[in-house]
Amino acid sequence: MNKKFLLNRFGRTLLTLVGVSIIAFMILHLAPGDPARIMLGQFATEENIEIFREQHHLNEPLPVQYGAWITGVMQGNFGYSIRYNRPVHELIWTRMWPTLTLTVSALVLAVILGFTLGILAAIKRNSWLDYITTIQAMFWISIPAFWLGILFLYFFGLRLRWFPIGGMAGLASLVLPVFALGLREEAWFARPMRSEMLEVLNQAYIRSARARGIKERVIITKHALRNALIPLVTMIALRLPWIIGGSVVIEVVFAWGGMGSLLVNSVLARDFPVVQAILLLISFAVVMANLFADLLYSVIDPRIRLED
Amino acid sequence: MMSPILDINDLYLSFSTEEGELEAINGLNLEVEQGKIHGLIGETGCGKSVTGRTVLGLFDSNTMIKGGEILYNGDDLLSKTQHELQRDYRGNEIAMIFQDPGSSLNPVFKIEDQLDEVLRIYQPGKKAERRKKMIAALNAVKLPDPERLLKKYPHQLSGGMKQRVMIALNLACQPSLLIADEPTTALDVSIQAQFINVLKELQKEIDITILYITHDMAVVSEICDQVSVMYAGRIVEDVSMEDLFNKPVHPYSKLLVSSVLGPETNIDNLVEISGSVPRLINPPPGCRFHPRCEHMKPECKEEPPVLKEVAPGHQVACFKEDLS
Repeated sequence: MNKKFLLNRFGRTLLTLVGVSIIAFMILHLAPGDPARIMLGQFATEENIEIFREQHHLNEPLPVQYGAWITGVMQGNFGYSIRYNRPVHELIWTRMWPTLTLTVSALVLAVILGFTLGILAAIKRNSWLDYITTIQAMFWISIPAFWLGILFLYFFGLRLRWFPIGGMAGLASLVLPVFALGLREEAWFARPMRSEMLEVLNQAYIRSARARGIKERVIITKHALRNALIPLVTMIALRLPWIIGGSVVIEVVFAWGGMGSLLVNSVLARDFPVVQAILLLISFAVVMANLFADLLYSVIDPRIRLED
Repeated sequence: MMSPILDINDLYLSFSTEEGELEAINGLNLEVEQGKIHGLIGETGCGKSVTGRTVLGLFDSNTMIKGGEILYNGDDLLSKTQHELQRDYRGNEIAMIFQDPGSSLNPVFKIEDQLDEVLRIYQPGKKAERRKKMIAALNAVKLPDPERLLKKYPHQLSGGMKQRVMIALNLACQPSLLIADEPTTALDVSIQAQFINVLKELQKEIDITILYITHDMAVVSEICDQVSVMYAGRIVEDVSMEDLFNKPVHPYSKLLVSSVLGPETNIDNLVEISGSVPRLINPPPGCRFHPRCEHMKPECKEEPPVLKEVAPGHQVACFKEDLS
């Protein structure tokens, strides 16, 4: 791969991360009112507020404050949670795994289901399978995440009692939140996969491969799929922020003790250090996913692989 | 006479379009003899490419076969399912090269992978043996530095190289019949000659039959043994290459031959065929060439003329009195 391309791409990623960190940091100061008063609440004494200001460098100019904060972040020190009175990194560390389990499972479900349905719909174009794929995709996309979560809880949890109605007790409690999150995303993969496959299957190289007597199964799973995947990889990277965003809502609905519910609770409790840290981490994940997609792109499509 | 390797009888084929039924092939009769390079020539839109693809069953979804048979060594290909065609005929019996070399190779696989895929199916052997065969195949089509070429992706090759890779790829299937659908149309003239020489040499060497589809009369004179002249979905004349240029009989063939620009052609004598290929939705009745024909007679508007032998190996479909 081309060195200049790599340097350029990494450079831009770094720049984005700096921008993102500034925005995450500024959240505290953009909220109306004095951060110290907001964090300590309305019954804090003037004295305590002054001590808090000193402790958190709130009397310093903003660039100095940002410098202190970001230096800490680089060393893995995200400050102290006001609500839990524990280091933020400890809190996040324990909350990160449930969120990763939920989002990664949902993404895997969405990709497997979406790609399979998309490919089948393209092969069996204008069949009942094709129509069902389209209809179900429209259905999932049209329902807000929280409402889908509540419906799932009601039917499969309360009514049918197939799955627990929340919490994190083993694999069974993972099923409903993963489907509530994953089915929406599946819809975003099935339709583009269908149209990509249809386009690729019309290409001259597919006809030419068929003329060589290559099995239809190989034509679909190797010759066509490999080409159809190129734009779909970007699609996955583009959907990642939405999956993370969706997980925040789903975690709250299903009482799933991950970063999403921690974020919501911290916003409500004005626990700014935690909010800042989670925002920074989520943004970091999204930026890195985009970088990864770009690099993967050139692995899948040799035409993008620049010569040196 | 030997029985033909490919024998198409009374083929009728239509496309359903929004404007109505388009009768692309209308009673086509074509015999291709074993071991020959058989040209199928005609203007753009006369149905020659469709004929080639129909032999392999590579239809678009709006294609309707209305009648006829396509006999390959006596088996009717039109009665086969897509699966039977794939398993028994495509590649191992009949292969096909298409017009645009640029898009005929899969862009995401190396030449090596595409060649090896075919070899694994048709000439299975150990990896080292297959590799030797790959290099031999690329050498056979006169591609320089095959070792390096194997590692390349299609977009790193020129059009002429890609088309030669396509030959290597198709011959690696070891077919008995190769359908070449305007393989040189997208190439530069200098590259065309090189490509045609490679194809001609290989044809002699491995004794393969080639159905060569083209509209280029210069190419026809270079490569073909026998030629079928096609007009609006029918063969109007079937003739040896020499006789086509020396004594064409059908009025359309005569016009085609006289429209060729040779070194001695005076530009003032160059003949242009007036009018254009008829629209095949509601085509003219009878002989489809009659609106453009200077020998038109009343019966030309009624029934299409059938192919009649005027000399050994020379058939013409025309109502003209002196067929010579």
